[in-house]
Amino acid sequence: MSRLKTSWIVMANAALMAAIVIFVALYSSHERKENYQHQVEHFVNTTIAMEQVTGNYLEGEQGICDNWAMYINSRDMTLEEAAEYVRATHARSDTSAHLIDMETLEGYSTKAKLNATDDYRVSYRRMELLGDGAWIADLGTAINITRTYTNPLNGEQSLAFCNRITVRDAETGEKRQAYLLRIVPTSNLAEKWVFPQEEYENEDFSIIDMESNYVIRERSFKNASFFEYYKSYNQPGIAAQTQLFEEILSRPGSFTMKDSKGRECIVAHAPITSTKGWVLLSSAPVQDLNAVTENWILIGVIAFGLLLLLVTDFLYMHAFNKKLQVMAREAEAANRAKTDFLSTMSHDIRTPMNAIIGLTTITEKKLDDRETVGENLRKISLASNHLLTLINDILDISKVESGKLTLSPLTFSIVETVQNLTNLSQPMIKEKNIDFSFRINRMKEEYLYADQLRLNQIYINILSNAIKYTQPGGSVSVDLREEESEKAGCVTLIYRVSDTGIGMTPEFMEKMYQPFSRQTDSRINSIQGTGLGLAITRQMVDLMNGTIECQSEVEKGTTFTITLDLPVADKPQEEMRIENVDVLIADDDPILLETAKDTLESLGIRADTAGTGMEAVEKIRQRHEAGNDYQVVILDWKMPDMDGVATIRKIRTEIDAQIPILLTSAYDWSDIEDAAKDAGTNGFIAKPLFRSRLYEKINELLGVETRPLESEDDYSDLAGMNILIAEDNDINWEIISTMLGMLGITSERAENGKICVEKMAEAAEGCYELIFMDIQMPEMNGLDATRNIRKLENKWAASIPIIAMTADAFSENVAECLKAGMNGHIAKPVDLKLVIKEIRRIKEERK
Amino acid sequence: MKKLLCTILAALLAVVPMACVSLARADSAGAFQPKLDRDTECEITVVGSYSNFEALEAEFERFNEFYPNVELTYLKPDDYNNLLGTVLEGKDTPNIFFSYPWMCGNDKYSTVAEHMEELSDPGLELNLDCIRPSLLNYEDDGKLRMVPVFARNYGMLVNNSLFEKEGLQVPTTWDELLAVCEAFRSKGYASPMMGYSKDASGCLMNILVYPEAVAALAGNAEMLQAANNMDASAGECMRHGLEAMTELIGKGYINLEKCGEISDNYTQLILRFFEGDVPMMACTGDTVSGTGKRESQSEAFSKSPFSYSFMPIPMSEAGGYFVDSVSIEFSVNKTCENLDMTNEFMRFLITREELNRMASVKRLVTPTQDLSFDAVYEPFAAVPAERILSPEVIGITDPLATQVRNAAYRVGIGELTVDEAISQYGSIEK
Repeated sequence: MSRLKTSWIVMANAALMAAIVIFVALYSSHERKENYQHQVEHFVNTTIAMEQVTGNYLEGEQGICDNWAMYINSRDMTLEEAAEYVRATHARSDTSAHLIDMETLEGYSTKAKLNATDDYRVSYRRMELLGDGAWIADLGTAINITRTYTNPLNGEQSLAFCNRITVRDAETGEKRQAYLLRIVPTSNLAEKWVFPQEEYENEDFSIIDMESNYVIRERSFKNASFFEYYKSYNQPGIAAQTQLFEEILSRPGSFTMKDSKGRECIVAHAPITSTKGWVLLSSAPVQDLNAVTENWILIGVIAFGLLLLLVTDFLYMHAFNKKLQVMAREAEAANRAKTDFLSTMSHDIRTPMNAIIGLTTITEKKLDDRETVGENLRKISLASNHLLTLINDILDISKVESGKLTLSPLTFSIVETVQNLTNLSQPMIKEKNIDFSFRINRMKEEYLYADQLRLNQIYINILSNAIKYTQPGGSVSVDLREEESEKAGCVTLIYRVSDTGIGMTPEFMEKMYQPFSRQTDSRINSIQGTGLGLAITRQMVDLMNGTIECQSEVEKGTTFTITLDLPVADKPQEEMRIENVDVLIADDDPILLETAKDTLESLGIRADTAGTGMEAVEKIRQRHEAGNDYQVVILDWKMPDMDGVATIRKIRTEIDAQIPILLTSAYDWSDIEDAAKDAGTNGFIAKPLFRSRLYEKINELLGVETRPLESEDDYSDLAGMNILIAEDNDINWEIISTMLGMLGITSERAENGKICVEKMAEAAEGCYELIFMDIQMPEMNGLDATRNIRKLENKWAASIPIIAMTADAFSENVAECLKAGMNGHIAKPVDLKLVIKEIRRIKEERK
Repeated sequence: MKKLLCTILAALLAVVPMACVSLARADSAGAFQPKLDRDTECEITVVGSYSNFEALEAEFERFNEFYPNVELTYLKPDDYNNLLGTVLEGKDTPNIFFSYPWMCGNDKYSTVAEHMEELSDPGLELNLDCIRPSLLNYEDDGKLRMVPVFARNYGMLVNNSLFEKEGLQVPTTWDELLAVCEAFRSKGYASPMMGYSKDASGCLMNILVYPEAVAALAGNAEMLQAANNMDASAGECMRHGLEAMTELIGKGYINLEKCGEISDNYTQLILRFFEGDVPMMACTGDTVSGTGKRESQSEAFSKSPFSYSFMPIPMSEAGGYFVDSVSIEFSVNKTCENLDMTNEFMRFLITREELNRMASVKRLVTPTQDLSFDAVYEPFAAVPAERILSPEVIGITDPLATQVRNAAYRVGIGELTVDEAISQYGSIEK
């Protein structure tokens, strides 16, 4: 059916094309004919104009002859005397005059015969030129001109202007009639007569007499007479021929004929009215007048263009149909994928939901069993977090696939990012007892300009996969290196995560970036994941114009390397120098030792290293005994012979109870925090050891010396705060207010943005520390509310910190909030730790 | 393999036509190779006694293919035979002019002869070998000053359709001629045979008598010498021809009154023949040359065209003679301007191809060796070799021919009897 329709369309197009071409051809032909008619008219008019010029010239020549005749007639002259007179008055050498007796057809010439200087006699007896002189009009009344004839005296082809004259018979004295011929060689006439030939290249002129003999002719005029020429190459029939000849002799006009080459010619004729029967003829090939070849080019171009259009349309239609078929297949596949997706999602969502609902049901029935309740709540929390991750991933992948994933770059600290990364990975590392190391190398630039959220996501996805697919007891190592970028104003961050996990088969690696791809392995059935992480990561890396590489071997492990060029932020690098300070750093990782030493020395610190705890103790002891103690000692927690806590204890007990000691680790130290404090550590510093963090911590130690570390569970600094919460949802309000209440923070509720603005407008200065603002609320949303608050006249109210607390968790939502005038963003579901962190940050900034 | 084959075929398709074209060009170019600069600009004028000479003008066009900037013109001066000398002495002298064998040795044309270039000069490279030797008129000094371009013959135009209509056979013997004339007479044809009779020049009487006189002289050297010497004893050579002519006129087979209505021996004669009621029209090949062009100019012929041919007049039982004589010749004016280009044109023209082409266009007999005939001349192809006569070879001079012509005319119109004409040979005035 579709083929039939296509052929109909093609046929319709072809018919339309043919119609256009025919129309253009007909129109062009019509134009050509019109143009040809104009050309012919112009051609005839030119000939007529030439006729007038010719007439004027002939009248002038005839006038000379008339003057001679008048003079001779007014005198009583013999023929010889008249010849003498004309000879005497005749100044031009190129012409001559013959005076011929009418009866004898003999007479005298003004020029002597060839090779006879004194013989002027001339005879016309054998010439059929002057037999009947009746055609010669009376003196002064007309131009009397002969046909072209051969001058009997010199053999030149000539013509003669004539008059009848009366002379006296030399013997009898009686009056005799004679002819006076003023002879002009046709070659002279042709030389004088310049035909205009600018218009048409092959245009030729001629003048014919009444018998159609040529008086003057150019090369295309053949035969002795024009009519003979016409008859030689054209056979129109006697009647038509006779009529044509009459027309030529009687009136101006034009006609076509074949010339001696068989070409079609247009011949314009214009009788020279001042003569008896002379006609001016001009001839040009019709092709010359009709040479409008552009039209055919035009037709050709149009035809070609239309054909091209037709072919292009056809090909386009064909391609379009193919594309539609592909799209239909894709749509079908997408539909199938959607079904698969929903099926998968249904399974993946129901699994944690089953855990949450089931455990909640169990817990409700065992409220009295505190241990079971606690265990169930922990499991519910795990399932909830997994569900949250799943939802976040689904949202992300849907944005990626719809092409709506955009980057929201802002200035951020890579130190914070790495810190966050290690923090987030700690629980799993701890749970699986994985040997974890995080090394940084040559990290000169701390502040970069990129989408921190997406960068975090990339790094976390890769790292969490490594941890996830590594068996307990295995190892995961992270290397973050900064290198010079080829892009101006950028650095290249190379993030490499290696694990000793289960690895991947080559077949799986081919499709690992496709959504919902999970390595199937009996050992990992228990591993929970959405199968979206790598797909999202790959898309984000692509979006950031980076590369992601993977080497993997089954049973041996996997290494992912992500390379990104990130712009360096404009934020000026703080001048960090700590002069004249000796620091000892002890770690069993030589690479870490080397990079840490470089970093410390870049701060101006004299750094010394120790590969084990024992070596560190010995070095401290030597310096102590030499009275040249290290000002700060940094000890790794996990060292093979003697761990960091034991080393501290040994230093404190055996060498120096006061020397500032920092314990460093890539692991979560919450489990050893108490033991470390007991041993006498002065603080913790997380790996990797960033320059700024070292600078901050060492300065802190040098300033307060052995200031005891505050517990992270101490929220006393927050107690007594009063926070305004704009939240329309009762449950959400209850959750956040309860959470804050647990920290000793009081809160007030505004049910929507409008109420929030009103409350702020009416609030006494200092009654709220900050506002947690939901975004999607009735009456007035959080963004508008923030903008209105920022416009309040009360300076305190207008500058109050506002933190978005919303389920709109995408980076563009964050950017939108900041743009509206907010100071931060916390995504729902709310993480209490994050809330505390934000409150403390705000408090710090308000100081 | 398929691709290679396609490529070769495509290449062949492109190359073969080009090769053919270039071969065709080479072939046509092989006929004439220009020797002079092809961009030469000059004018060449040919003068002659023909009012029109389309055949020559066609050759001009062909020559222009090699020399496009050479302007060639044909002119007919008034009173050609008398003024030719003056024309050659004049200001714009022609390059080539018509010449006739009778001009040679004629004092009146001594000036003309002085202008004639020696055309057998090998340096000119004229292809004289293509011309029948009998038509080449070498002078006593061994020089050739004129080259024939057309040959003339004598005969009669025959209306084949009329013969067919009347159920008669075209005659090939004297008796047959008399028989068909009688038959036509009986069918009401006033003059079964006609011709021009108003003037001796080109008259039908000469056409009837001259070939017989030439035949009589062909085998009789003594009589030939006498005839050339205008000796009255040679008049007998005319007897058979004159008697036969007299019989035709006497029996009313040639009605001189009707013939007298024909005002000239060219256009009017042709138009009269094209009226369609004349079975036989005596004329020369020069007249036949005008038939082609005049077919369309004849209202009668246009309405009722018929088949016609030109054949020898069977004035004896053995049939007629093919008198192969020169019609016109070309001479080159050695004092003209652009002599090199003039000789180049002659070198172009005097070839078998060009002379045959020109004869075909002009409907005249070619002077070349192969004697290719136009369809109208077909009967002449059947004339046996022994009946082909060449006056030039035989040695017939112009005065001899004039005496025969004058005698035939005057006997024909009844001014002289056959015997009177024979006895007055050598002094018969026009």
